[in-house]
Amino acid sequence: MYSCDSPRNRLKIRLGDLPLSLGTVGVLVRYWIKGRFTRATIASLVVGEAFSVIFVLFGSSTYLSFSNKVGLTTGLSEVAGSLILALYIVGLIQSGFNGSGLPVSSSDVDYVFTSPVPPGDVFAAKVLLNSLTTVLFGFPPILVLYLRFSSYYHTGALVAFLAGAVTLMFFVIGLLLSADITLSLGRGIGERRKPLRNFFIILVLVISLLPITLLISEVPGAVAEAARILPNGLAATISVGLVSGTPGTINYLTDLVLLVAWLVGFLVLGIRLSRGHFYEVLEVSVPGVEKFDKPDQTSRLNPRGRSLWSVVRAKERILISRTREARALFINAMFLSGFLVIYALSGSFQSSPTSFLFILFIIGSFGSGTASRWIEKERLWILKSSPVSMRRYVKEVFRARIAPLLFYLTPVTVAVGVPLVLSQLGQPSLLLGVVLALPGALEIAAITMAGGMYFASRYGQSSNDDILSSQAQELADIRRFLFQTVINLIIVSPVIVLVLVSQSLATSVGSGNLPELAGGLVLASVVFTGFSINLLLNRAGDAVRRREDL
Amino acid sequence: MVQISIEHLTKNYGTLVALNNVSLKIESGEVFGLLGPNGAGKSTLLKTLVGILRPTSGTIKLDEIEIVASPEKAKSIIGYLPENPSLYTGLTTLEFLQFVGKIRGVADDLLDREISDSLKSFSLEDKRNSLIGSLSKGMKQKVALIATNLHNPQVLVLDEPLTALDPRTRVSVKDWIGSQTKRGVTTILSTHDLDVAQSHAGRIAIIDHGKIVAVDNIEGLRKMANAKSDAQLEDVFLRLTEEQA
Repeated sequence: MYSCDSPRNRLKIRLGDLPLSLGTVGVLVRYWIKGRFTRATIASLVVGEAFSVIFVLFGSSTYLSFSNKVGLTTGLSEVAGSLILALYIVGLIQSGFNGSGLPVSSSDVDYVFTSPVPPGDVFAAKVLLNSLTTVLFGFPPILVLYLRFSSYYHTGALVAFLAGAVTLMFFVIGLLLSADITLSLGRGIGERRKPLRNFFIILVLVISLLPITLLISEVPGAVAEAARILPNGLAATISVGLVSGTPGTINYLTDLVLLVAWLVGFLVLGIRLSRGHFYEVLEVSVPGVEKFDKPDQTSRLNPRGRSLWSVVRAKERILISRTREARALFINAMFLSGFLVIYALSGSFQSSPTSFLFILFIIGSFGSGTASRWIEKERLWILKSSPVSMRRYVKEVFRARIAPLLFYLTPVTVAVGVPLVLSQLGQPSLLLGVVLALPGALEIAAITMAGGMYFASRYGQSSNDDILSSQAQELADIRRFLFQTVINLIIVSPVIVLVLVSQSLATSVGSGNLPELAGGLVLASVVFTGFSINLLLNRAGDAVRRREDL
Repeated sequence: MVQISIEHLTKNYGTLVALNNVSLKIESGEVFGLLGPNGAGKSTLLKTLVGILRPTSGTIKLDEIEIVASPEKAKSIIGYLPENPSLYTGLTTLEFLQFVGKIRGVADDLLDREISDSLKSFSLEDKRNSLIGSLSKGMKQKVALIATNLHNPQVLVLDEPLTALDPRTRVSVKDWIGSQTKRGVTTILSTHDLDVAQSHAGRIAIIDHGKIVAVDNIEGLRKMANAKSDAQLEDVFLRLTEEQA
């Protein structure tokens, strides 16, 4: 007998014409918390939390001192905040389209989905738990971030607290959006509706990319306004405005009301979408349960006459093309190309060539995140019981999975860089920086992606991740991402330093020896990059070979 | 024909002793059964034997090839089927087998023929272009078995090959194991299925708490357990593992 009908659980609310049983939602949330937060998990999360706080302190202080040094007196801007939050939203949209908008584990499938609990209650419980954990674990580093900025602007701790709360509300909106997108992915929608679905995907992406257009100074006012009323625009306006002491109480209240409207809107939409049976669209992180629209395919591997490593690369490409990963990569490519084109149009590179390095570092970190999601998990027995070299295998996976992104970035870098080189011909001291920044940017992206592979090999792949599945997994991923970003930053720092000191070098050497100096430095940075990538991938291969928890 | 020598093998996971000073000698061409309760160390022993896990101490030799010193050489003559083989679900059956054949160094001509013959013998010809993700559990197990044997290994290490299979598939897998025996392949078979152990294995080792409790043929094991001469292996197994407990 279904016990959720007890008097205790009869408290029901109506949201979006759907009655929700709060008792059932509470039972589910309690069960998930008990089941997933073991002492070890909590300990690792606390360590991660401490690390995040240190990282945030380090990052924000570095950012502020860098801003002062290069003369950016603003320190923090609403546009920058909006862009950073847009990155988060794009990541969540991608996750939503992958079917991971509502993270589920196999035990959910086996026990919760087979229970008579209404899907709407399951949705509500999932969203509640995800929001709770996001707020709980997201608040300390965000508060520290805003406290650091509020001390810079002398605006006080209360303001930092309010700004943090608004940013967290935005995070919850992002989670709801991601969940809604996943719920909207009805399987078997038919060929005729697929173009509509694809149009919807593109529309959502375009809208999410809108804030990036704010980098263009001549952007029409209507676009800027439209970008401002998106959740990330509103959250950035309120949080950054509050922390930096921008006056305008009424405006903040209006923006806050709009932000709450987004939250309620996505929540109601999600609850309405969850009325039907949505379980089959969720991605469960268990090998062997992927769903494919077409069970029969033409074999494309064709190993005859090909080398072993060419077959390994072909295998990776086939796997990517047949799974939802292809869609995720497409979204990445769309986002990155849009970002770079708009960045080039904005003229930011012309005013500060070194900023290109940081932009590419962000992109590299994005790629690094993609690399760090490389997962073979239980399938590694096939390789580990074979005579293949794991070092070489990891390198080939890097070539097949990650290198295309670099090839994709190369023409964009050339397109951005050539006009700039031509414009700087009259200023040899600046030209050296540009000449170093362009290949340097690609080198940074390549190294960070190799770093992503190393972290995937060293810390990913493990079935331990399944223990942390669902909301805790998301948090673990974020911490791993932050950790690898710091390590990557250290590894690429010689390339960045080279560009930063180029102007002084050029002045001291003199314009006569500039070509030789430029050639030598580019060669040195290329050699360093090659060495770093080789080292990271060798370490990655060794890490997989040595691991015993796979 | 390869002889396997395991000497003083110990494997620790932190403070947990998964294998405790295990020594075994498996003759070339022998089918060797490995029985034990859940968590006894069977899978750890097999994973160490095939080079996935590194021993804490002790040695494993396939004839003169030492697995830790020459893992590539050893792996090229071993075929391993794990307890729950996870396959690349996004590849077709044919692509998966071609990939496995390639990483195990099978020549192109031989590979095509081997795949066709194996698919035929396991009645999977019509599934060659089906994505593995769309196959049933039994079919996946058959594909994993074919992959295990593509390079004609001289040693087969099979961890619970009959788990969760339907009766028809069980029969075909048992027949397949029998055919490998005739081919002279040295086979280590870990199983909970005592009938299979009794019918296929010449000698059986019983492992419990990481230690080998007994090694012998069925008659010898009956004697060790003080069981009747017609006692089933199940009785023998229970007696020996109870004594150990």
